[in-house]
Amino acid sequence: MKPAAFDYHVPSTAAEAVSLLAELGEDAKAIAGGQSLVPMLALRLAVLEHLVDLRRVEGMRGIERRDGSLWIGAGTTQAAIERDAEVASAVPLLARATPLIGHFQIRNRGTIGGSLAHADSAAEYPAVAVALDARLEVLSPRGARTVPAGEFFHGIYSTALEADELLTGIDIPVWDGRCGFAIEEFARRAGDFAIAGAAVAVQVDGDGKVSRCGIGLLGLGSTPLRAVKAEAAVLGSPAADVAPADVGDTAMATLESVPSDLHASADYRKHVGAVIVARSWQRAVREATDA
Amino acid sequence: MPEVQIRVMVNGRPRTATVPPRLTLADFLREHCRLTGTHLGCEHGVCGACSVLLDGEAVRACLVFAVQADGAEITTVEGIAAADGELSPVQAAFREHHGLQCGFCTPGFVVSVTAFLRDNPDPTDEQIRDGLSGNLCRCTGYQGIIEAVRAAAERPAEHTRTAGT
Amino acid sequence: MSPLAQPNGTATGAAAARYSGARVSRVEDARLLTGRGTFVDDVVRPGMLHACFVRSPLARARILGIDASEALALDGVHAVFTAEDLNPDVREQWYTLTGKDVPDTPRPPLAEDEVRFVGDPVALVVAEDRYIAEDAVELVSVDYDPLPPVVDYVTARDAEALVHAGYPRNVAGETAGRPAAELDPIFDGAPVVVRETIYQQAYAPVPMETRGMVAEWSAPDGELTIWAATQSPHEVRLFCSRLLGLPEHRVRVVMRDTGGGFGQKVMPLREDMCVMLAARKLPAAVKWIEDRRENLMSAGKSRHEHGDARMAFDADGTILAAAMDFVQDVGAYPTPWPVGTAGVIGMLFPGPYRIADATFSSTCVFSNTTGRAAYRGPWQFESVAREVLLDIAARRMGMDPADLRRKNLLKFDDLPFSNPNGMGVYTDVTPLETFEHGLTMLDYDAFRREQKRAREQGRFLGVGTCSYVEPTTAGMNLLSTEGATIRIEPSGKVNVYVSGGSSGNSIETTVVQLTADALGVDIADVNTVQGDTAVTPFGGGTSGSRSGSMTAGAVAETASVLRERMTAIAAHCLEAAVGDIDLIGGRAAVRGVPSAGMSVAEIAQIAYFQPDALPPGTPPGLEASGRYRAREPMIWTNATHVCTCEVDPVTGAVTILRYIVSEDCGPMINPNVVEGQIAGGTVQGIGGALYEHLAYDEDGNPVTTTFMDYLLPTAVEVPAIEYGHLETPGPGEGGYKGVGEGGAIGAPPAVVNAVADALAPFGVEITRLPITPESIVALVRGAQRTVTG
Repeated sequence: MKPAAFDYHVPSTAAEAVSLLAELGEDAKAIAGGQSLVPMLALRLAVLEHLVDLRRVEGMRGIERRDGSLWIGAGTTQAAIERDAEVASAVPLLARATPLIGHFQIRNRGTIGGSLAHADSAAEYPAVAVALDARLEVLSPRGARTVPAGEFFHGIYSTALEADELLTGIDIPVWDGRCGFAIEEFARRAGDFAIAGAAVAVQVDGDGKVSRCGIGLLGLGSTPLRAVKAEAAVLGSPAADVAPADVGDTAMATLESVPSDLHASADYRKHVGAVIVARSWQRAVREATDA
Repeated sequence: MPEVQIRVMVNGRPRTATVPPRLTLADFLREHCRLTGTHLGCEHGVCGACSVLLDGEAVRACLVFAVQADGAEITTVEGIAAADGELSPVQAAFREHHGLQCGFCTPGFVVSVTAFLRDNPDPTDEQIRDGLSGNLCRCTGYQGIIEAVRAAAERPAEHTRTAGT
Repeated sequence: MSPLAQPNGTATGAAAARYSGARVSRVEDARLLTGRGTFVDDVVRPGMLHACFVRSPLARARILGIDASEALALDGVHAVFTAEDLNPDVREQWYTLTGKDVPDTPRPPLAEDEVRFVGDPVALVVAEDRYIAEDAVELVSVDYDPLPPVVDYVTARDAEALVHAGYPRNVAGETAGRPAAELDPIFDGAPVVVRETIYQQAYAPVPMETRGMVAEWSAPDGELTIWAATQSPHEVRLFCSRLLGLPEHRVRVVMRDTGGGFGQKVMPLREDMCVMLAARKLPAAVKWIEDRRENLMSAGKSRHEHGDARMAFDADGTILAAAMDFVQDVGAYPTPWPVGTAGVIGMLFPGPYRIADATFSSTCVFSNTTGRAAYRGPWQFESVAREVLLDIAARRMGMDPADLRRKNLLKFDDLPFSNPNGMGVYTDVTPLETFEHGLTMLDYDAFRREQKRAREQGRFLGVGTCSYVEPTTAGMNLLSTEGATIRIEPSGKVNVYVSGGSSGNSIETTVVQLTADALGVDIADVNTVQGDTAVTPFGGGTSGSRSGSMTAGAVAETASVLRERMTAIAAHCLEAAVGDIDLIGGRAAVRGVPSAGMSVAEIAQIAYFQPDALPPGTPPGLEASGRYRAREPMIWTNATHVCTCEVDPVTGAVTILRYIVSEDCGPMINPNVVEGQIAGGTVQGIGGALYEHLAYDEDGNPVTTTFMDYLLPTAVEVPAIEYGHLETPGPGEGGYKGVGEGGAIGAPPAVVNAVADALAPFGVEITRLPITPESIVALVRGAQRTVTG
């Protein structure tokens, strides 16, 4: 199980990286931690002419508190995010999602940018990004642009990124007020990609009514999904009056193209997805109302 | 596909080599450095048998290309015991608690647990199991391994000596 | 409660056991913990080449042509072999284990006219390294004419297509017990008959080290040296010598460390044959290391079978008769010949119960999938079918399953007891005793109370058991004997040579412990040399739970000769009677005279360097070889597994709460080793019950060829295992019995029964494995529909 041959490039700036990607075209791919890409290369499910390694690129690592948001460089490892106190206090949902990614050896190499750009619908970070309306910073030879997480994921392993574009950072809104966050997954084994999972962020106002809500779903479609109808149904309602099971059922009601494989049929994913949404909703609301 | 020169520290010794970009770090260590303690159990990042310390952090050597390790410090299982062959506290605990049988997965466990206990010197049983879940063993049913980690954790002063990088 | 007995010593005059029975640290560990083991992939030879197989992407197809020209043109490629090149060189192809007279199933090295499963080896590429070999594999162009495959063994007997033309209805072989009609009166007249079809999915041994071999041909000497990942170096040598027509002494097989086998490495498979055949056509050694995808695609499957199982009961739960019609999937190229073992599954179905009347039929069916291969407890389905059926029967009869078993389980005092299907006579086993021991360890009654309380709170706990007897240490063919050579060197240090070879079974430690005890020397003064056919005595290898028990015999036979010689020399030198000499602590001492004695080193000096000082008639040197012959056709071992779990009926999640194994493998040579074997097997069985599935899609494509899809249990999924030991001596040397396989036999039924017990309030039964969260939810929802609809 050995990868096919490729040429190796190590740019030292993001601009250099994207001009390389532009020059090399479709047969080139950027590699950061490589924890998803290398297995595909080893299995020869992916064959590339060129790998553009981002490890020396300046300015793509780090965690910064900005006005109303938390910025994380795309090259920041999951392990660094897991250890970071700022992440834990500013974006608890991201902090809680991180230990669910693979195993600690994977998180030592895997990066947030890699996870988002790889766009596995069962991965944690994409679901968190859509739930929290994160903004993804993208660079190309044509300049920088920002893509809302909700528009970033296009299909199975497919994103808004053009072949010459690079994800450089992610800007995540910091929620204030009475907030609660929970991520739950159901998987066959520890560390596996989830059969179904939900990342829930909820804010309640002084009356205990739901004033803001984001529900990201993982493992339940060809992309990470946002349970828009379920969110709309609870907005403005007193959180205590919302039946968690209804949130779960509503979140599942409109799903299309739910994956089906040996480990879980589409029907089962929806069944367990409703339970997981309900459970994470319940936990998030409890945290928000206790706050 | 042009080869690339890399310079790494392996178990404390500098090493320069020219490698094809597709050579995995695991194969570099096994074939070029002749450090065959790093084992290939799956080559797609699941079993953990090839775990090594890369700049002190446990990683799957099958999921890193040797070229990506340029400039890094690498510790393999061969670098865990003392120079005179004395087992590290983690290794000694594995031996004492029947934490290995065929020994094929063992180097990956030794390396991973060494890093795990350095970062989690006083783990709960649940943390131990979670910390071990990235390494697969088919012989022991994990019973002796879990006991070994628990025992090694009870000797924190000793294991930091060898876990430091 | 139990016939607990002491180890029955070896022979008279044996040194006191200091190490047997103790939790001795393993001698294998130091090298393995420090990365200094020598697994086959660690072997490097001058100019060594690397092999990789071209494998079929189709489940069944005619091979119209193979074009290797592009691959051969690639820089670094040495050769591409096809069936035309290798297969005609086969002289004889049969395994010592099964003998040459069984009606063996086909087994060509490379596929000839037809490919028969996805992964079927079609060509062998040899290149300078594995990277280039894999590049070249992609350049070998094979023209296939697809044929409709036989994917599902269940319907294969009615399929139009044949996997092998010579086997009508795709049946590889059948065996049966007495005519089922003879049991009809019992079944017809019984107050209760319980009958279920129980199905078990395919799963596999999955050693962490895949298969692999290095073969080096030395044309000038006519010698072939093989480094192999194997459980049986001598079987590899014999097989290879026959395959290539080489004299046995011109083949040398070496293995130092094998990374687990569990049956998969018990005999050379088709790829191994190809490497052996190719070696003589290459200028240097060739290494083939299977990758994990190949391992999960082509190294064979196990389990995958179903049985129409039925038992007749008296009104009080007494079992009156047991019968099973059993069908198993043997894939395209089973190894070894599967029909005999399939028969054993039928014969063992009555298990450790007082059942007088029984019968069975066993049918092996080909399919276009990877071949059936040996796996730890190859007859394990007998326990799955029986124990699951018994729990179902207990629920139907309104009995506690423990009471149903108590009524029927054999106890030590019932022995000897003849297996009603003719599978020998059970002796020296303790089924009821281990059962009671296991339930006591759990506190079964307390668990039932806890279960009741939990149900009242809407939580679903369950308990399941499995009791089995298994034949270990089979004494036939390849496995009839085991040899040892012991050399007490001139310094008094000891080398002991046995076939053995470390494959996870701790056989080096076992041999060192036994030898130190047998010679009365310090364990640090004993070294063992294993796994090299050029220097070790012939031995059958690691299979069938025999390594410890047979090697113990070999060591005892051999050590007794040396003990006698050392005693004679010491008695002569010390002017004492032979009968007054004790060998203990590395010395020969005169009993009752603490000051009189001499060290083993002093005795060795005389034996090697002062032959004139030897007593008359005593041969010089301290070197002996001995060979142990199995005393019985098999040694019975038994155990009871007890599992408790909690099931979330909403998601289908299963959490194992406690896991107890109460077993009786006779006196334990090393409890750590015994428990390690039990734990490893048990976790494999838990994997089989809940996680592992070597699955195919409808077209015959394997869908679990990575560790992302084939789910091995991790440290998070497994429970803490609690052990109970009864030590009833068996009929072999030291009373030792086999213990390598049992865990994998007992665990699946115990887990299934625990889950089914937890779900009993829903009125569901589990008759299909694996139990997945989805399957549990489907059962619960189905039952609720039945109730409400």
